[in-house]
Amino acid sequence: MTEKRIPHTDLDRLLDRLRGLGAVHAPTRDESGDVILAEVSPGKPVVLDYKNFPLSPKVFLLPQTQTLLRFTNGKPHEPAPVAGNGGPSQGDGRPPNRQAFLFGVRPCDARALLALDEVFLGGDQRDPYYERLRAKTVVIVLACTRPMSSCFCTSVGGGPSDEAGADVLAIGLEADLLLRAITPKGEDLLSSAADLLGDATPPAIEEAQERARKAADQIAPVELDRSAERLRNAYDSPLWGILSQKCLGCGTCSFLCPTCHCFDITDEVRGDVVRRVRTWDCCAYPLFTLHASGHNPRPTPKERWRQRLMHKFRYAVENLGRLFCVGCGRCIRNCPVSLDLRAVFRELGA
Amino acid sequence: MIQTQSGQETGPAKRDWEPKIVAFLCNWCSYAGADLAGVSRIQYPHNIRVIRVPCSGRVNPVFLLRALQNGADGVLVSGCHPGDCHYISGNLVARRKFALLKELLQYAGIEPERVQFTWVSASEGGRFAAIVEKVVEEVRRLGPNDKLVKKL
Amino acid sequence: MSASHEIETRLRETAEKLLREKRVDLFLGYEKASLPFRTTPLFLTSPEEVKRLAWNPFCTTNLAVYLPRLFKPPADAREAKTAPPPPTVGLVLKGCDTRSVVALIQERRVPREKLMLVGVACPGMVDWRKAERALREHEPLGAGEDAQGNIHVVVEDGTELTLRREEIVADACLECRSPTPSIHDALLGTPVEGKDPEAARQQTAAFEAKPLSARWAHLQETFSRCIRCNACRQACPVCSCCKECLLDQTRPRWVGAGTDISDVTIYHLVRAFHMAGRCTDCGACARACPMGIDTRLLARKVNQEVEDLYGYRPGEALDAKPPLADFAADDSQDFLTEP
Repeated sequence: MTEKRIPHTDLDRLLDRLRGLGAVHAPTRDESGDVILAEVSPGKPVVLDYKNFPLSPKVFLLPQTQTLLRFTNGKPHEPAPVAGNGGPSQGDGRPPNRQAFLFGVRPCDARALLALDEVFLGGDQRDPYYERLRAKTVVIVLACTRPMSSCFCTSVGGGPSDEAGADVLAIGLEADLLLRAITPKGEDLLSSAADLLGDATPPAIEEAQERARKAADQIAPVELDRSAERLRNAYDSPLWGILSQKCLGCGTCSFLCPTCHCFDITDEVRGDVVRRVRTWDCCAYPLFTLHASGHNPRPTPKERWRQRLMHKFRYAVENLGRLFCVGCGRCIRNCPVSLDLRAVFRELGA
Repeated sequence: MIQTQSGQETGPAKRDWEPKIVAFLCNWCSYAGADLAGVSRIQYPHNIRVIRVPCSGRVNPVFLLRALQNGADGVLVSGCHPGDCHYISGNLVARRKFALLKELLQYAGIEPERVQFTWVSASEGGRFAAIVEKVVEEVRRLGPNDKLVKKL
Repeated sequence: MSASHEIETRLRETAEKLLREKRVDLFLGYEKASLPFRTTPLFLTSPEEVKRLAWNPFCTTNLAVYLPRLFKPPADAREAKTAPPPPTVGLVLKGCDTRSVVALIQERRVPREKLMLVGVACPGMVDWRKAERALREHEPLGAGEDAQGNIHVVVEDGTELTLRREEIVADACLECRSPTPSIHDALLGTPVEGKDPEAARQQTAAFEAKPLSARWAHLQETFSRCIRCNACRQACPVCSCCKECLLDQTRPRWVGAGTDISDVTIYHLVRAFHMAGRCTDCGACARACPMGIDTRLLARKVNQEVEDLYGYRPGEALDAKPPLADFAADDSQDFLTEP
């Protein structure tokens, strides 16, 4: 496992080198002052002073709107470029012809990509649209030093400098950035920039571990042990009705969640042109389970909210062997009514 | 207040481009007025495509936006004169809807000439033709619509 | 002792009495949330729990949003036979929230006689996003109100800071014309003067001063951030009227489900239009948006037009007729095309 380092002041040179190999997405400020993960052209300032991005990087692999097929007069054809903002939330079905380097992804979000891989690549069928994008994506994780009060990655098997899902893990030190290759893709990346990088010295590695430890200490633990079993026993608990009363069914939690992946497919027709498009969907919407007969098996916010937590903390564990939550806290921070799923586990008891 | 932005080019007019105007006409007055124009052999531009509705009050703002999204360069809605509505007050309720819609769309930056409203009675064939002339001319001057257009 | 603390004490007393005397079946209020600068809605049914009720500068949620679902009519005759009678609901309301309740009562969504309105005169509520931005790199651990009404914050390293309330108060509160509930069964707090309507007028005038193409460009840029999560719609108390929202319908599909900028723009334009005469500018939509879109940009204009053209402000009088369900012989016709 190669470990290198690069002075902070040379980061731009590394990114320039990567630009020769593909598109570089890095943290940058948008018009409203938020730090987002977006393609940075040379000269555009990269910001390293951020907690996490509003949208998770799943948007690069599962765009909010993705054209799957186009037909004209009954004949399928190669999708033409889609009009519109063309940002990471839109995509067409064409295979990308360039690598995409995602620099600055947080460990929680990288771990989430492994959960998405389970869904889209882990079964008998592999989702070709996801697969094409995934194959061309290189994930460079930037370890966290300042967790938020909504973070709980350490309680779901992750941590502020966790390696899961990363091709390269970058840890910010005082003067340098420590770069650790985790996968073969990561090794390739480091070799392609070998002339820019120095070796990681034992003191540097020591400093990295110390910083990781300090960050992890700031994260309050959540009682998520045996979550699947506890949820199974609590299916009929009155707790669900009480806690879910507040839920507005707004969809914010699912849309921002790095592991949520439910989607809808619609055919848009105009004249003899048909476009089949995949868009994000959310189980908190009443329409999600509405049958054509009018019956809805999840008729109220209680059933829907319970389902959401069951899926993430029980069904996913029982079916796929992993939690579908990485503790990023976006659902907690952005919920308009400040619902906090951590409260569920506190109230559930043993 | 409604401002006209006549003379402002908003987009390059393709050669041989003809404006496409979708016209929502109420069955009892405006559609009959258009019919009268036809029967009287009054010539007016061919650019309008008519959609007949029972009453101007039936027109939902989303129809107009959908028309623009699907490639219309302009939209015209026409109903009975106030007081003459076949359903008594459909056009009176519509009047408020349209006033607000026109303000909102202009506020959003859509040229006011692209979304127009009028009253035409069943006996006003000539008036109908004149209004269509005016609307088509105004939209022609603006060029093809590039707002809300959705490419599939 | 901050002003909020006094109101909180009286609020708890009021709620306790209402619940104990069974004058309400349910009391809606706020309680402390797990994150600083927030509260979370509280559905109280027992008088013993009133000490959970909170009143502070973070009570932003418009609780009127829960009323339509509490008074949902039975779906059909069979359900009507077994459905329980509608509850009597007490709720704590700021000025903007009260106006939403009035709009709901006008539209017969909610019966006045089943409500106990505990109004609180509101000095403006904190927008947590603005507060966090003001803290820059610091991570807030706790926040509260000081005696001057400013916000006292403790950050990650134990340092204490004060944020001036007017700098972090929600945008909607900066233009609020009705901070004191006009309709109530009980009123807490000292009545607060509304802001000059000029504040909001200047915002729309500034936007209208731009040429059409610049306005359109601004909207397209703003809406490019929209992820179609529908939070703005779900947070809105009046935006729940339709059994199936036009924007969700699939037969026909009026608006595509994705983030094509055309569909996003139509979504927002249609929502703003449907709010005409009903939106009370409470700002719940803008606060709910996870992408920081200013959804009030369009709503503000529609509200002003409704006021200018028809002399109507939503939520003022219980017996007023909603303007788009009404008409007058002399309604403006300036917008018409003449040959």
